Amino acid sequence: MKDSPDSGEKTTPIFEIKPFGGNGWIAEFSDSNDNIAAALFANAVARKLREETAPAAVFTDVVAGINSLTLRFDPARADAKEARAALADAIGATAFNQTSGDTKPMEIPVCYGGEHGPDFDDLCTHLSLTASQLIEAHATRVYHVLTLGFAPGFAYLGPLDPALHTPRLDTPRPRVEPGAVGVAGAFTGVYPLVSPGGWRIIGRTPARLFDPKAPSPFLFEDASTVRFAPITASEFSSRGKAGP
Amino acid sequence: MNAIATILKPGLLTTVQDFGRPGLRHCGVPQSGAADRFSFACANAALGNPPGAAALEATLTGPTLRFDCNLSFCITGAEMNALLNDRPVAAYTAIDARQGDVLSLGAARIGARSYIAFCGGLTGDDFLGSFSTYPPATLGGVEGRALQKDDRLCGASLTGHAVRTIPQSLRPVLTHDFILRACVGPDAAMIDPSSLEKFFATAFTVDRRAGRMGVRLNGVNIALADKRPMTSSAVFPGSVQCPPDGAPFLLLADAQTLGGYPRIAQLITADLPLAGQIRPGDRVWFRKVSEAAARDITLQKQALISASLPEFSFY
Repeated sequence: MKDSPDSGEKTTPIFEIKPFGGNGWIAEFSDSNDNIAAALFANAVARKLREETAPAAVFTDVVAGINSLTLRFDPARADAKEARAALADAIGATAFNQTSGDTKPMEIPVCYGGEHGPDFDDLCTHLSLTASQLIEAHATRVYHVLTLGFAPGFAYLGPLDPALHTPRLDTPRPRVEPGAVGVAGAFTGVYPLVSPGGWRIIGRTPARLFDPKAPSPFLFEDASTVRFAPITASEFSSRGKAGP
Repeated sequence: MNAIATILKPGLLTTVQDFGRPGLRHCGVPQSGAADRFSFACANAALGNPPGAAALEATLTGPTLRFDCNLSFCITGAEMNALLNDRPVAAYTAIDARQGDVLSLGAARIGARSYIAFCGGLTGDDFLGSFSTYPPATLGGVEGRALQKDDRLCGASLTGHAVRTIPQSLRPVLTHDFILRACVGPDAAMIDPSSLEKFFATAFTVDRRAGRMGVRLNGVNIALADKRPMTSSAVFPGSVQCPPDGAPFLLLADAQTLGGYPRIAQLITADLPLAGQIRPGDRVWFRKVSEAAARDITLQKQALISASLPEFSFY
């Protein structure tokens, strides 16, 4: 883990710590222009808290969001004020200029639009893009894995091309298919499992993102990079049948 | 594996649960586990199982099963007119069943979930150290799904001191009108101040859309003062989120790990088990308490419980 406050320009981001129920604290990093840096920073602080600060019995959960970090504790084992101080200390002791390494991007095949992307056409209309413009804008980038969450193995990927930024659905869909590729705000992500979801679905991958029987069940590792490769519906069907 | 019982009728939604997968939310893994953790622990305590030993969670209408060996069991939580070979079964009490006996549960009139624990506990598909069934990811339990006719339950051989019967004073009292204590959530500033006041002063009716992931609440429309989209941030069982459509939802055991809607309240930990008994049509009031009170109430309740169930913890 990289932890070198002296290398590069160490700046502590502006943050506010608020209570989150009786047994939690949430640090929210001010809306910076750089969500990516904020998310990588939140992950680094979370790792520090999980690995160095206290055993799991004291801090029951350490969850990085995109612009936030939530620490929960067992009040029978930890004092609320001390838990808050541990959070503030970990933030102060973490360098802001986190990098996600130089690993080769993992390639995820995606079939865009049609039955696999129920929100694809609406999104083209809403964003005034042609189908090929939307696919190009989404598939040409290398994305950072910013945090895992929401569902087992679900990775928040960014930054998304600003031309594709869009709010979540007002009412989440009751069922999103596994492998569905969605966009929301400044992020894109892939639903590893059947679940309800509020992201706008533009395509689907036949790749398996979560395998409970594998030694490392989550395909996306923290701090790796991802690129999407467009495939046709028939390629999707043949890969789907071939399995992961 | 030691088959202890066979499912004759599965009921509406019967799953194998334990205390789930705590501490893995940073990987996107929800906690899962019994929705009413306390009733669950009572069933195990009566039999001398550890509080989180795997057992059955039945929802609204319970299962019918046949014992394939002599074994004691205990039923807690929502009352579902349990019969053992057509004779009524006392709840919160260890009962000895004989091989071939048939245990049948009907529909709950009040509360949502019953627990059936078996002496020694159950086993199932293990995922990250838990047998808890999480159907959205087909994890745990029996093939990661709700039980079906002809499924066999497999027993474990956990042992401990059996309480045999749970004192009356400890048994949860179920209702159709829930008063749940909650702290103001971290995003309360994003909703209209008069809406926040109403949130803590009005009854909500539980929507048909109610499950282990959470329950949707109808009543006052909660207006957002700040409609800017939120970046995804942690949510937990007991978080109340408010999407732009104005109907808040209360997250339960299978809650996702991150959410993108304002978190306007957080239930106190001591009231989470009770929230697992909420069913569609019930009414819910939220009573505002401070963070310090949330901790104190939970610690006091834990101390009270530990006299009879020394191993139980809300966390």
